[in-house]
Amino acid sequence: MSSLHVTFRVGTAEYAINASDVLHLESFTEATHVPGAPAFVAGLVQVRGKLVPVVDLRTRFGLAPIERSLDNRVIVVKIGTRVAGLLVDSSREVVKLDESTFEPPPELLDSQASGYVKAVTTQAKRLLLVVDVPRLIGEEVLHA
Amino acid sequence: MAETVDLREFVGGFIAESDQIVASATAGLLEIEQANVRGELRAKTVRDLFRALHTLKGLAGMMGIQPIVELAHAFENVVRAADQAGGRLTARAVELGLMTVRAIAERVRAVADNKPVAAAPEALIDELARVDSGASTTTAASGISTGWDRRLSASERQQVAVAVDAGRTLYTLTFTPSEQGAARGLSIATVRPAVAKLGEIIKVAPRAVPQSAEAPAGLLFDLLVISDATVAQLAEAIASTPDHVEPLVVSAAAQLPVLPAADEEVAPIGRSFVRVELARLDDLQEQLSALVVSRFRLERHIAKLAESGADVRALREIADVQGRQLRDLRRGILRARMVRVAEVLEPLSLLVRSLVKPGVKEVKLDIDVHDSELDKAVADRLLPALVHLVRNAIDHAIEPIVERERAGKPRAGKIRIACFEGAGNQLELSISDDGRGVDRHAIARRVGKPLEDDTALLDQLTTSGFSTRATATETSGRGLGMDIVKRITVRDLGGELSMITDVGAGTTFTLKVPLTIAIIDVFSFECAKHSFVVPVATIEEIFDLAECKRVEGPSERDRLPITLCERRGRPVPVVSLGTLLRLGQPASNATKALVVRRNGEPLGFTVDRMLGRHEVVVRPIEDVLGRGPGVAGATDLGDGKPTLLLDLVELGGGITSWREVLS
Amino acid sequence: MRDMVAACLRPIGELSFEFAGSGLEAIERLALSNYELVVLDLNMPDVGGIEVIEFIRSQDKLRTLPILVVTTRGDDASRTRVLEAGASGFLAKPFQPEQILAEVRGLLSNA
Repeated sequence: MSSLHVTFRVGTAEYAINASDVLHLESFTEATHVPGAPAFVAGLVQVRGKLVPVVDLRTRFGLAPIERSLDNRVIVVKIGTRVAGLLVDSSREVVKLDESTFEPPPELLDSQASGYVKAVTTQAKRLLLVVDVPRLIGEEVLHA
Repeated sequence: MAETVDLREFVGGFIAESDQIVASATAGLLEIEQANVRGELRAKTVRDLFRALHTLKGLAGMMGIQPIVELAHAFENVVRAADQAGGRLTARAVELGLMTVRAIAERVRAVADNKPVAAAPEALIDELARVDSGASTTTAASGISTGWDRRLSASERQQVAVAVDAGRTLYTLTFTPSEQGAARGLSIATVRPAVAKLGEIIKVAPRAVPQSAEAPAGLLFDLLVISDATVAQLAEAIASTPDHVEPLVVSAAAQLPVLPAADEEVAPIGRSFVRVELARLDDLQEQLSALVVSRFRLERHIAKLAESGADVRALREIADVQGRQLRDLRRGILRARMVRVAEVLEPLSLLVRSLVKPGVKEVKLDIDVHDSELDKAVADRLLPALVHLVRNAIDHAIEPIVERERAGKPRAGKIRIACFEGAGNQLELSISDDGRGVDRHAIARRVGKPLEDDTALLDQLTTSGFSTRATATETSGRGLGMDIVKRITVRDLGGELSMITDVGAGTTFTLKVPLTIAIIDVFSFECAKHSFVVPVATIEEIFDLAECKRVEGPSERDRLPITLCERRGRPVPVVSLGTLLRLGQPASNATKALVVRRNGEPLGFTVDRMLGRHEVVVRPIEDVLGRGPGVAGATDLGDGKPTLLLDLVELGGGITSWREVLS
Repeated sequence: MRDMVAACLRPIGELSFEFAGSGLEAIERLALSNYELVVLDLNMPDVGGIEVIEFIRSQDKLRTLPILVVTTRGDDASRTRVLEAGASGFLAKPFQPEQILAEVRGLLSNA
């Protein structure tokens, strides 16, 4: 079966996230730094009247920070009752992915990336890493 | 023994109220101190201060705590003299005032701790008796005070003289015009007849003042009135609080101004209602939050006890009961803040009546809101948005009778307002009309970009600057003020705005707003290039670092350095907020220190500069990722970006565990 | 008077009018909203026209607002008094539609 996914770039890799987890995409200028919040949190932004924490995926994925650009997007996701933003280098398209082609990530990647990638798939000659959103927004922080 | 229990209960109330009065008196004195430096007058603050002291004196009197009565009384005399002389309090009087308030606070603490209360310091009482309050700087003119003298004609003066001879009371009412008021139909044109019903208006004079929160339009109207009505009635006529009603002294020797007693403010309206200032409910709510926090601590300790093997069943049972009681209390306070939506919408009927033109354009307003209720603070902010929507519907959406009949519609247009309580403590209000609807394609052509659906159309309509009169008429549109509607609904109230429109058939706007919001008074400041706000109520003092003696205290190499600043003969420990929050470079730019009281002791935080004072809506940070220690929420100061609300007292708790991160 | 002024100014195009019933109301509206021009009748209940002009000129945001005064008293002394108080233009009643149109056009283009 196939389902819609939003694709985005962080560093050189291309990722995918199930569109049903995505509320909307926002452009990004800056976030309000929150002292004492986890290091991978870029800060708070106000989206349609609500305060939303933004997870900087570059920091989350252990990449060096780069200068912000107009391509930066915040993907606002909703997991259960939680709403959070994912700051990505760019995000342009929504694609239909055939889930039967999803394969578990190589074990080494899985252990090095704390389970952020739940599947990999090659479609239309592109390698896409399907991310585990609850992990990205730190469900483990909640249960720590 | 029952007597002791009763007293103890009463003591709790006394302490809570006294603490609050001490905090507001301190804030008032500091405000006056700052104003003095700038050469400005704070007459209203002086008046508030007088009332606060008066109330405190009464409370302490009831409790039989003589030293507090004496202290409050001595300073009250100073403030009263200043108030009568036009509201100027000298720097020395402010200084003594702060000492008095401090002395009172110490004695309140003693009562709380069940310790003996020290006598009032004689030296301070003596000095208060001698201090020049500032009264001598203003000499009341032979006639009427507050500058009326120069503004009256000979015949108006005569009117005053006759009234005073007859023993009647003269008042100066100060009406503050504002955009919000005007939207509710409150203007000098409506206020004047309302006041005229209560007495004789001798003169109305405009007064230009610097723009401020108290005078948003930079304009006040003074009404000189002879009236036998009560202060509360007069205040109601100008839709204001009693502090905008000032009884006048006519001849310097004749009589002293009669200040409205505190209980006059809570004027009974009808038998079973008490009008309560919203601020008091806010205080209650704040105290409730403190209670919730201490309950969490209690639970933590019970859990710890349980871990160490103790039998905590009885304790846990009490804690559970207390938890339910807290929830009930919270619900009770929320209920007390609620007003009926039907009542909130009343001005809209008047608005509709004033806008329709019988025989040309007729409109029926249909309000269907059942018994829904809404937080007063939300209602006050929401009403201007509803006024805009209804006005637009009548001006632009509903067609004239001729046009409606041609289209086979009923003669009179219909506007329907309905609401129901939605999920998540939200109220959903819809405003529908059966008018022209908004022509999406026409607007799309006008702005030169496609508008695929009603959501895109609404986004376009609510873009500020989009609304031009031409657009409004040309497209039978909804340009006017739609950006304001959106700002109120989304930014100010954290709600949602949506629209469905059908050309020829009508438009429905739906506003989802929270049933209740927290509004607090805050100071904003900058620290290491970040802006923050703190509740005014938690700040005991703000001082200039340059103006006090400072020494660097000793500290371990990796610990947070403490500076000691001398304030009123006492050392106050001060830490760098920027360093504590790890905001980057050590705050060598710091110019000011904010002082809070933690565990009864003063504690200062350095900041770079103060930005201002505002009333803001605080939003909770719902997701744990956005939270940090000492971060109590966030607000929008108008730039569309969140500004964090800090709890400095909680942050102070992190000082001892702070360690420098060695890179 | 109000409808007449509106009718006279129609040729200018898309203008929106608000009428204040007294001097105090005028002052209040000026403080609350933004206008491009004031047409002021000197003869008003409560506050006099001169007082309104003086108030307008005492306000920072209104200092440059064009004020066109309309009055039945067309003598030189009145004219001087009004212009000294800070009015930008002066028109004695009765006037022709073209006159007020020209005055308003002039004041709006100067602003």
